[in-house]
Amino acid sequence: MYRILSRAVCTARNHHLCVYECYVLPVKYDDVLRAFTGANTLSTCIIRQCEKKDVSDQNETTTKDVKPEVEAKANDGGETQQQGDGKVEQVLSKPSQVKSDGAKSGKEGLLDLLGAMKVEVTNKRKLKNLKTKQSFETSAQYKSKPAAMESTISMFQKATVQASAKSDALDPDIVAAASAAAATLPNQSQAESELLKQLRQRKALTEAQKKGDINNLGDLIADMKVGKKPARQNAWPADQIRFDDDGQGYTHDRGITGELANIRKRRNVFPTKRLNIFSPTTDQQGGESALAKPTLWDMDFANELSLSANQMPRNGFEEMIQWTKEGKLWQYPINNEIGLEDEASVPFHEHVFLEKHLEEGFPRQGPVRHFMELVVAGLSRNPYLTVQQKKEHISWFRDYFHQKKDVLSEADVDLS
Amino acid sequence: MAAPCRHVGHYIQRNSGFLRINVDQLFAGRSFSLIAALRQQAAEVPKESKEAIVIPRKKSWNREAVLEALASTVHRDPTAYPYQFQDDSYLSPRTSAEFKLFSLSQESGRAAAKYFVNNNPKFFTKDFAEPHIPCLMPESVALRLEEVSEAALRERISLRKVSAAVEMYDQLLQSGTPVSMETTHEMLDLICVYCDRDPVQEGAPILEDGEGGDDTKRRKVRGRRGTDLKFSWKENNNAERIFQQLPERDSRCYSALIRGMVKHGVFSKAFNMYTELLNHRLTADVHVFNALISAAPDVREKFSERWDLITELLNQMSQQKVRPNLLTFNSVLKALRRCGFLAKSLAPQTLNEMKALGIAPSLATYDHVLAVFYKSASSGPNNTDILQDILTELEGTRFTCQDPDDVFFFSSAMRICLDSKDLELGYKVHQLVEVGENWRLLGDSYQQSIYYGRFFNLLCMMEHVDVVLRWYARIIPSLYYPNPQGMRDLLQALDTDSRLDLLPAIWKDIKTLGHDNKVDLVGELLSLMARDEHSAEVQESFAQCALDVKSAFDGRSSMEWTTPSLSHITTLMLRANKLQQAWEMLQLFKAQNRVPSEALMNSFLSACQSSGAPHRAVELVQLSAAFCLPATPGLAKRALAELELTEEQRSILSEFEAAAEEEQ
Repeated sequence: MYRILSRAVCTARNHHLCVYECYVLPVKYDDVLRAFTGANTLSTCIIRQCEKKDVSDQNETTTKDVKPEVEAKANDGGETQQQGDGKVEQVLSKPSQVKSDGAKSGKEGLLDLLGAMKVEVTNKRKLKNLKTKQSFETSAQYKSKPAAMESTISMFQKATVQASAKSDALDPDIVAAASAAAATLPNQSQAESELLKQLRQRKALTEAQKKGDINNLGDLIADMKVGKKPARQNAWPADQIRFDDDGQGYTHDRGITGELANIRKRRNVFPTKRLNIFSPTTDQQGGESALAKPTLWDMDFANELSLSANQMPRNGFEEMIQWTKEGKLWQYPINNEIGLEDEASVPFHEHVFLEKHLEEGFPRQGPVRHFMELVVAGLSRNPYLTVQQKKEHISWFRDYFHQKKDVLSEADVDLS
Repeated sequence: MAAPCRHVGHYIQRNSGFLRINVDQLFAGRSFSLIAALRQQAAEVPKESKEAIVIPRKKSWNREAVLEALASTVHRDPTAYPYQFQDDSYLSPRTSAEFKLFSLSQESGRAAAKYFVNNNPKFFTKDFAEPHIPCLMPESVALRLEEVSEAALRERISLRKVSAAVEMYDQLLQSGTPVSMETTHEMLDLICVYCDRDPVQEGAPILEDGEGGDDTKRRKVRGRRGTDLKFSWKENNNAERIFQQLPERDSRCYSALIRGMVKHGVFSKAFNMYTELLNHRLTADVHVFNALISAAPDVREKFSERWDLITELLNQMSQQKVRPNLLTFNSVLKALRRCGFLAKSLAPQTLNEMKALGIAPSLATYDHVLAVFYKSASSGPNNTDILQDILTELEGTRFTCQDPDDVFFFSSAMRICLDSKDLELGYKVHQLVEVGENWRLLGDSYQQSIYYGRFFNLLCMMEHVDVVLRWYARIIPSLYYPNPQGMRDLLQALDTDSRLDLLPAIWKDIKTLGHDNKVDLVGELLSLMARDEHSAEVQESFAQCALDVKSAFDGRSSMEWTTPSLSHITTLMLRANKLQQAWEMLQLFKAQNRVPSEALMNSFLSACQSSGAPHRAVELVQLSAAFCLPATPGLAKRALAELELTEEQRSILSEFEAAAEEEQ
């Protein structure tokens, strides 16, 4: 069973990793493979090995010669023993497959890019005197992110958003796998971020090299320049092309420099100078006027305000809100005290501790007292009566027992 | 490396039973993530016990909270009509004129019902609602108290019956009954707000009250805003008369008078009144200052004098320890708009003063600042730094309407974006509109259509056509009914990005929007369709569209055929191999007294040749002769050379050819 499990793990890990590893670092590939067969259970270890070559070298020495039967020790107990021959073959069959994948995706990518460029060429010329730079930037960015309707020029402003979106840019499977792998490590979050970072760097590198291939076919796209993105992290997404319609060269990023310029300018646009007529003291006059009764002027102003803004409801709920405000609609209950507005000011203990009402007019002991205590206990649990009603209820009994004073004294019950 | 291996080993050992289920699926990622989840749970347990317990504060909800939460789940449906029209599918507006008509009729219907209920309370005595709902019952609009008393005066004031109140006040004075100061204040307020006129009762039919038709017309023009701006403040009207008769006048009496005078446009008088107030060693309140500041540009000619007056007023405010509010600064900035060159330096200072006092600017504040820095007449690439700055500052803020001028901000900001052709900035402005309830501050439907018109214009000009079309689907017609110019911009955008194949769809929209009677627009559409040759399918759809256009022309007497549109449609028919329809179009030339061009005749002949219709070619040459086209012999010659004709047809054609030669 362990074997099946570990193989499954390996193939899953292996696949994703190979895609990124194989044609970026073909030399390393063998090491990776050996590492797989050696460690055999843990993709985590493999990813680590990619980072630390020396580790994989160590593994290499241990596993090089063990071909038909690989005995791997995943933990101290050496519980996991398994047959490796089938596995090794399976893993070895990967490279060719992946290689062809890589080549294919490269070709497809090229086609995609060419397709995208063709559309770009038809870009608007009429405004090039005015704002060529901007319009191109905008349209280029829209092309790459058609889903987002809003301008993505301000991409750099939203660096934080991008950062979080970056992990989405990776294949979700990889991300999931990396986090799963990281979960097995002691320092989980750090390990995960390290893993993802590594994967991202690989992908960026891959993209960059893909672009490099395209550049060789420059004669196809003679009057265009392909903006090759450097494989640095904050240049994501890397598959964007920027070019100048006139073939003059790259259009310069407005991004960070533009932002800096804005910040610098802002200080100039609104200088800190002020009129210096009023002193910023907070006096109580504002509160005073708020307490005063609204005059006709205030009402007139409020009316003007409400007329100037668009007050039309957009859906049924907004209409209901409007009706609630106008008092036409029964108000939606927002807690379980709806309809108990009279009782809102009455504290809880008034409802529950009613014994104090027995102090006057009732005997201190005896059957009447006993009876009344039961009445009070019942009342204290009744949520449907107001305190006033409870008091009336008690006082009714008070009157009743006073009226029956004679009967009670006859029955030898002390009323005192 | 060994450590994590050991960890996983442990887990596999411990959870092997659990894992077996997942192993079958050979989906390692999943079982590993399960392990991760288990591990997380284990890690959290010891952490929780250490943390102190924090009891959350009681959250109080307002009574619309549930409804607001529900409303926030409903998003705008760009394919639906505005909500107020959804009740009646028959009254679904398709054009801006219909929108205006339907929404106004809806409002007027409501107002009429209210007027009827209020004026006939005897028919509406039954109270169905339990508990009682006061606003559903008729309001008392008639006077109840008849005797001469202060209570009767107060009733007249609360019902806003100006002339009745004045009458009652005079009667009270004559009978020697003293009127309390509070009632006098309210009395003066009433007269000054309504400029000594009875306000038009809500929903009441507009009566001709002795002023003649001219006044009625003016009232219609002014619409629902500025209820009494048109009434002028008369010399010695009741407000002034009562004011002069007062034994003692406090600052509120002055306040009412000054505000009334500013509101109704007698600015110099207001300033005189203010001087009088100062002479009596009284202090004014913030509203008086606000009113006076907004009136300042009207009483001084020179820019510097205007500003001096404003500073003087502000200094007096400071001396009298009157705390300025948002409207004070908004009026200062609004006045600065009329202070020419001074404004550019002073407006930022005013804004800073505001911020120093802790008064949050409203959209109107920014609107005034923008207006100071961007004059509408300016041309060329503008410097949009100010707007950029403001937008950065406002990003993500939710606004409520605090000043009636708030509603102008978005449209003027979009105007600046359009003038400077700055698409990025335009998106930023629109982003701000979409935050929270900010769309309400776009103002009434007219303001809103201006805003969206500018936005759409900017998009058509600067944006790629795919994105333009996405916006088109989003805002048209649910938010915006484009005018012919807007549709033209769209056509141009389609042209520049060579997506002319979409023209038939756009034509359908043009028809829906009611612009199919605009000859210029239709002409442009036709010329775009006829300009280039396209693939057969596109030509077919163009031909269908052209036939539709033709039927739109046929139905209306107001639309005149022009030669270009006739020839465009004919060309489109020829390209789609619709010889019969093309021939009908040629007949139309004759009926409309238009002359087809030589090129059109030639292409028609080519079409005859390719579809093998010699008799049509002969008819064409005959038609051409009827038009006395100089190209007739050429056509005849071509027909003779290129087509297979019968003897009879040949003889006819050679006649034309010969006739021409004879003339030469």
